[in-house]
Amino acid sequence: MKTVRLALRNIFRNKRRTAITFLAIISGSIAIIVFGGFIEFTYWGLREMVINTQFAHIQIYKKGYMEKGGTEPTKHLIKDPNLAERAISVFPNVKYMRMVSSRLSFSGLISTGEKTVACMGIGVDPEKEKEMSYFETIIDGQQLTAEMQEEGVVGAELMKALGAKVGDNVTILTNTVAGVINAADIKVVGVARTGTKEYDSVFIKLPIKFVRRMLNTESAEKILILLDKTEEVPTVVPLVQKIIDDKGLDLELQSWDKLADFYHKVVNVYEGIFNVMKVIIGIIVFFSIANTMSMSIFERTKEIGTLRAIGTTRWGITNLFLVEGVLIGILGGILGVLFGILAAKVINLAGGIEISPPPGMTTGFVTLILIVPKVLLYSFSLTALVAVLSSLYPAIKASRLKIVDAIHYV
Amino acid sequence: MTQASSLIVLEKVSKTYQLGKVEVRALKEVDFEVQEGEFVSVCGPSGSGKSTLLNLIGCIDVATSGTVSVLGKDVVEFSDAALSKMRNKIIGFIFQSFNLIPVLTAFENVEYPLVLQDVPKIKRFEMATTILKEVGLADFVEHKPDELSGGQRQRVAIARALVTGPKIVLADEPTANLDSKTGIEILDLMQKMNEEYKTTFIFSTHDPKIEKYAKKIYAMVDGKLHL
Repeated sequence: MKTVRLALRNIFRNKRRTAITFLAIISGSIAIIVFGGFIEFTYWGLREMVINTQFAHIQIYKKGYMEKGGTEPTKHLIKDPNLAERAISVFPNVKYMRMVSSRLSFSGLISTGEKTVACMGIGVDPEKEKEMSYFETIIDGQQLTAEMQEEGVVGAELMKALGAKVGDNVTILTNTVAGVINAADIKVVGVARTGTKEYDSVFIKLPIKFVRRMLNTESAEKILILLDKTEEVPTVVPLVQKIIDDKGLDLELQSWDKLADFYHKVVNVYEGIFNVMKVIIGIIVFFSIANTMSMSIFERTKEIGTLRAIGTTRWGITNLFLVEGVLIGILGGILGVLFGILAAKVINLAGGIEISPPPGMTTGFVTLILIVPKVLLYSFSLTALVAVLSSLYPAIKASRLKIVDAIHYV
Repeated sequence: MTQASSLIVLEKVSKTYQLGKVEVRALKEVDFEVQEGEFVSVCGPSGSGKSTLLNLIGCIDVATSGTVSVLGKDVVEFSDAALSKMRNKIIGFIFQSFNLIPVLTAFENVEYPLVLQDVPKIKRFEMATTILKEVGLADFVEHKPDELSGGQRQRVAIARALVTGPKIVLADEPTANLDSKTGIEILDLMQKMNEEYKTTFIFSTHDPKIEKYAKKIYAMVDGKLHL
């Protein structure tokens, strides 16, 4: 405790120098906390978007679909999806689940008569999938409703490629599960944008009853489960697996994170940028504290000699300066976190940061700065660790000063 | 008196410094002995080697040749940590520039050597308060060094040097930065402490008026010591 008290007094001995050091630490912390909060918000937004527009939280398929369904989808359909849906929707899982709904999709062609383009038809239950439509932006027309039979909502990029408009009739061409060509007309009631350019250029959302007639089957390709919170996925997955196992259902499941390749690529890119930033900030803080400690030792050479003369050991001197460095790191870290939170709140109050559409996306968005405990902890830990490391050399150097030279230093 | 009963013994001690390309022989085969309770002055002009002698006695410097013994033991045998411990327990230092720790109060400066010995807080308080009272600074315990006069600072330094009950106190030109009146007061105080605690005092000075306070006077001339 004595060492801590002496160290604290020495830190505030030269207030201006200490203030400049704290300023460097605070600036670094603000950068980490704001950028960290920015990318966490980006991750959250992208994650919720792909979950709520494409994958849901959990997907259930017939056993074997994950391995072979890509090449032979019609051979791996869920024969009695209603039974499966009922089984999964029972208590105690109900409290977690916002939606349990079947889907049936196909690859085919969509044509206005003048233009024909490849498409991916997604058959949905419009009533049940109301939850998943919130993240879709209807830029023209309307969303599918439960009463619609032969209507569809087309992706914005696909609509552009077709050169069609809301109210037009288009022809869908595909194969039934038996491999027979089938075609039917639908009316375009809405144009939607999900944010993913790739997806918006192929999808057409149709009532699942219509798709079942097109494919001549009552089966479903997959059952989607949407939860209250994404954080609940690790809890719910084993519960659903248990239901599947207990009831002997011929099903398998996959969570969203195994399907969202684009999301993981974005995370990797941002993590790489963030890591580089952390290293740069760490170096700046390192040299800032090392410089402060070296200046302090230089000014206190005589004092170090006196402390050694009256009986302080080399380790005692090293410890004194290490403690000073650590205290600078801890105090600076705390101030950094507080100012980082303040900066985040100010940015959010000002309306956030506008971001242009990233690669692969069709719309830009406004980012807020999330205040994330793990980012705050990281910022504080980095400062404290760097403080210890940067104080080490100056502290050891101070302890190695020759007593007689230090005492008589002018 | 034999070497075994002497506090400090220097035998044929020499000290040479390198000053750029020039070699300076600060001490030339000096023989020196001091017993318990002595009040000794080492006098000589600037650059004669007085401070060097005190530095070697205080084990804050290392002799180039010869033997320095403290309580019968050659200091060469001591590790750095052991020397630090010995300085803390047996040797007290008073410097020309007082060398107080500026961020500590008078009380905390005096208390510091006891902290290094892990003396319990209550005992530390008692010892530090007592010695500060002895040196006439009972009313200044909470003052920082920059709130004290030169004489008061040197009194704090004396208190710090004596608080652990050392066998020997080394004072290197203790009155050089003080006016003559205050210098006399400091010497009187040191003499009083010597008589009261039987602590050996060795002080260096170039002031002939001050040197006469000592019962034994050594003259340092060109690195050689003469009684």
